[in-house]
Amino acid sequence: MLSPVPEPLVRFANVRKSYDGTVDAVRALNLEVARSEFLTLLGPSGSGKTTTLTMLAGFERPTEGRIFVDGEDITDVPVEKRGIGMVFQNYALFPNMTVAENIAFPLRVRGVSRAEMTSKVVRALSMVRLDGFGDRRPQQLSGGQQQRVAVARALVFEPRLILLDEPLGALDRQLREQMQYELKHLHQRLDVTMVYVTHDQVEAMTMSDRVAVFSTGALRQVDVPRRLYEAPASLFVARFLGESNALPATVRQHDEGCCAATLATGETVTAVMPVPCAPGSAVHLVVRPEKILLGEAAHDSPNRFAARIAEVTFLGDQTRLRLAAFGADDFIVKLANTAGQETFAPGTEIDIGWQAEDCRALAE
Amino acid sequence: MPSQSNAPAGWRPRHGAYWLIILPALAMLVFLYLVPLADVLVTSITDPKPGLDNYLLLFTSTSVQKTLLTTLRIAALTTFVALLLGYVVAYAMRAANSSQQRLMLFCVLLPFWISVLVRSFAWIALLSSRGPVNAGLMAWGLIDEPLPLVRNETGVLIGMVHVMLPYAVLTLYANMRGIDVRLVAAARSLGASRFQAFRMVFLPLTRPGLIGAGTLVFILSLGFYVTPALLGGGKVLMIAEYVAVQINDTLRWGLGTMLATTLMLSVLAALWALSRVLDVKRLFGA
Amino acid sequence: MNRHHATGIVTAFAWMVLGFLALPAFAVVPISFTDTRYLAMPDEHWSLQHWRAFLSSREWHDSIWQSLWIACVSTLGAVVAGTLCAIGCWRVSSRWSERVRTAMILPMAVPTIVYALGIYRLYVDLDLVGSAIGIVFAHTVTGLPYVVLTVSASLANIDPRLEQAARGLGASVGQTLRWVIVPNVVPGILSGAIFAFIHSWDELIVVIFIGGRAFFTLPRRMWDGINDNLDPVIAVVATAMILFTLLVLSAELALRARRPRS
Repeated sequence: MLSPVPEPLVRFANVRKSYDGTVDAVRALNLEVARSEFLTLLGPSGSGKTTTLTMLAGFERPTEGRIFVDGEDITDVPVEKRGIGMVFQNYALFPNMTVAENIAFPLRVRGVSRAEMTSKVVRALSMVRLDGFGDRRPQQLSGGQQQRVAVARALVFEPRLILLDEPLGALDRQLREQMQYELKHLHQRLDVTMVYVTHDQVEAMTMSDRVAVFSTGALRQVDVPRRLYEAPASLFVARFLGESNALPATVRQHDEGCCAATLATGETVTAVMPVPCAPGSAVHLVVRPEKILLGEAAHDSPNRFAARIAEVTFLGDQTRLRLAAFGADDFIVKLANTAGQETFAPGTEIDIGWQAEDCRALAE
Repeated sequence: MPSQSNAPAGWRPRHGAYWLIILPALAMLVFLYLVPLADVLVTSITDPKPGLDNYLLLFTSTSVQKTLLTTLRIAALTTFVALLLGYVVAYAMRAANSSQQRLMLFCVLLPFWISVLVRSFAWIALLSSRGPVNAGLMAWGLIDEPLPLVRNETGVLIGMVHVMLPYAVLTLYANMRGIDVRLVAAARSLGASRFQAFRMVFLPLTRPGLIGAGTLVFILSLGFYVTPALLGGGKVLMIAEYVAVQINDTLRWGLGTMLATTLMLSVLAALWALSRVLDVKRLFGA
Repeated sequence: MNRHHATGIVTAFAWMVLGFLALPAFAVVPISFTDTRYLAMPDEHWSLQHWRAFLSSREWHDSIWQSLWIACVSTLGAVVAGTLCAIGCWRVSSRWSERVRTAMILPMAVPTIVYALGIYRLYVDLDLVGSAIGIVFAHTVTGLPYVVLTVSASLANIDPRLEQAARGLGASVGQTLRWVIVPNVVPGILSGAIFAFIHSWDELIVVIFIGGRAFFTLPRRMWDGINDNLDPVIAVVATAMILFTLLVLSAELALRARRPRS
């Protein structure tokens, strides 16, 4: 697994950005991007992820703090001198140029010779599997093809870093999934560093070496996808990545990363507690729906409770149960539809439970 | 047009009633507009005798040719200057913040609304030898004697540019607003300098606007009467005034209608050619 | 940094050009208060002498009155015919109606001098030169494009199914027009009316040809005044016209502000 290496390619040092002087679009940002890494900035709109990217690209200047690339302070370097390739949300292909001219553009402004330009453009086109499309106009291409041209244009001048701003947002679901893998493979093949912005958590998980989760201008957590999902550091991260059941509770006692907490309905639960909280403080107990044990299986778990099935939804590869438990009726359980999986009927009383390590007590 | 083609056939109303309400305007247009124009055309080939004799004057009469040349020269110059100034204004408007933009738009629209007659008169007053422009220049010691700014081509050009500039600005601005600003940002991120991004991306994308504004200003300039007549002081004869002189003073209907027809056909031909490239109705504010 | 430099120069130049555009509108105001007998800025003091001359002149009053009622009547004609035509074309929406709508723009495109010759010849035959009805009709037909364009623009924002729904609910064409379509295009109609009014109010060339001896509208009297002698009274008239136009213009702007954004 990748972790920040000693000499990162990109480093944000205490960066703050405010557009109007009162609200911070990004605050106290310290983030490093390793060489050859695929890092995704993930967050809802207005979380600061796009602002972070545009500061790195050079379209916005940080209000405070510095940005380093390759150890060099680029905070005051103008956009065109940064040598960073960028793929825009709506591709931003120049409608007045052909596909080949679009891809040649960064070479042209750098005064590359005609012969070298031609060979590089041909190579870039074949890299994105668009051989022979050079003479078309961008408007004549499909969304996925335009997307690939935009990528080729950002790659062709061999930048040290490529930024992608929600590049798949305009594509339909199937094409988006296909493009996710194409981009991922391109990243592996070219050994280039990519910083990717998206609000789609599945996309982030699929493609990234590491994911940085943003909300309301702050970086919440940055880690490999699996750890983000299994060990979220905050309720926000737990809720934003995947589905989870979050039960409000009060901490009774804790030691060595574990705690006992009491729910509003009186039950006591043991859970993992990554950040220690004093007894008496309010937390949310977070359990992923697929970690819930049902019936017999629940009997050995330290956390075992009674529930009633309120609704059963068949989803093909899984079955989703909505349960009445803990004084509410929105407790979700997901079961993989493996062979021999028993069926459930609404109204049935059933025992539920989970292992202590599958439940995390997180402060608000 | 997302029209009613997917509506069930039974719902399609009878269009007869709607054609009926089109009729009054259409009848007026035909009998009070198209018929008179057709009459001008017919007169040009029948007066004083049937044939194309009047049109031969385009090639033989020196005074006709001189007028045509003056008209073309002034229209071309006006177009060039209006496009140049209009481009700068539209570009600045696009970049300005919204309160500045409103003020700029007001300045552009203000002369649009004041009658051409009043504006031409204002320019006469401003540019005359005892007017404020010459007075100001002399007060600053830039000149010793009043410059001849009216009753010559300079005056006509100033007045014409002033009349045409709003058309140029509005057409160019509409075109520029349609350009995705991210394209310029993209060019910059790919390594283009400010000027390169402008020259290689922005300027080519404003070509339709330049063509549209240029054609519009040029054809409107061709037929202009009031401004050249007043600011030219009878010394700069453009085609429209020449026509009026033929009819009012010398009663040469054949020559007058021939020139009028030529003018009309050139304008319509230019518009037709333009309609191949752009939606012409937009130019007129549709 | 030179990027702010370049933008600054462009903006400064743009404001200079905008100043050039706004200049004449403001320049005639002080000239109308000149104390000289020729066109110039007030020399020693501001004087009301030319305003007094204007206000006591019968000829100018007659011209204003003539211009006003001709503009009102021809605007009414243009609005009624133009609105109906725009609605009809919108609803029929066929190749032919599209051609009609394009033809309606002709009076804006064809140089006025050409039309002036044509309508003069027609009116000579019909003995309408120097008649009120002749001028009103000429101004109506040349005012039509403004109404057709503005109403069409309003209609473009209306869902065509609205009309179908009304008809489906049992309304006749007349009822549909009165209760459904027209109320939805009122802003377009009013804008068109203002354009048509200003068109007639400012129109000079056609009136020169067909006005005969009886009709000296305001523009025509100004035209004669400017050609004969550059009397500062004309600056007064020009100032008054500018003020009047500004008044109408602010009415238009107010209407536009009320119109929902499309």
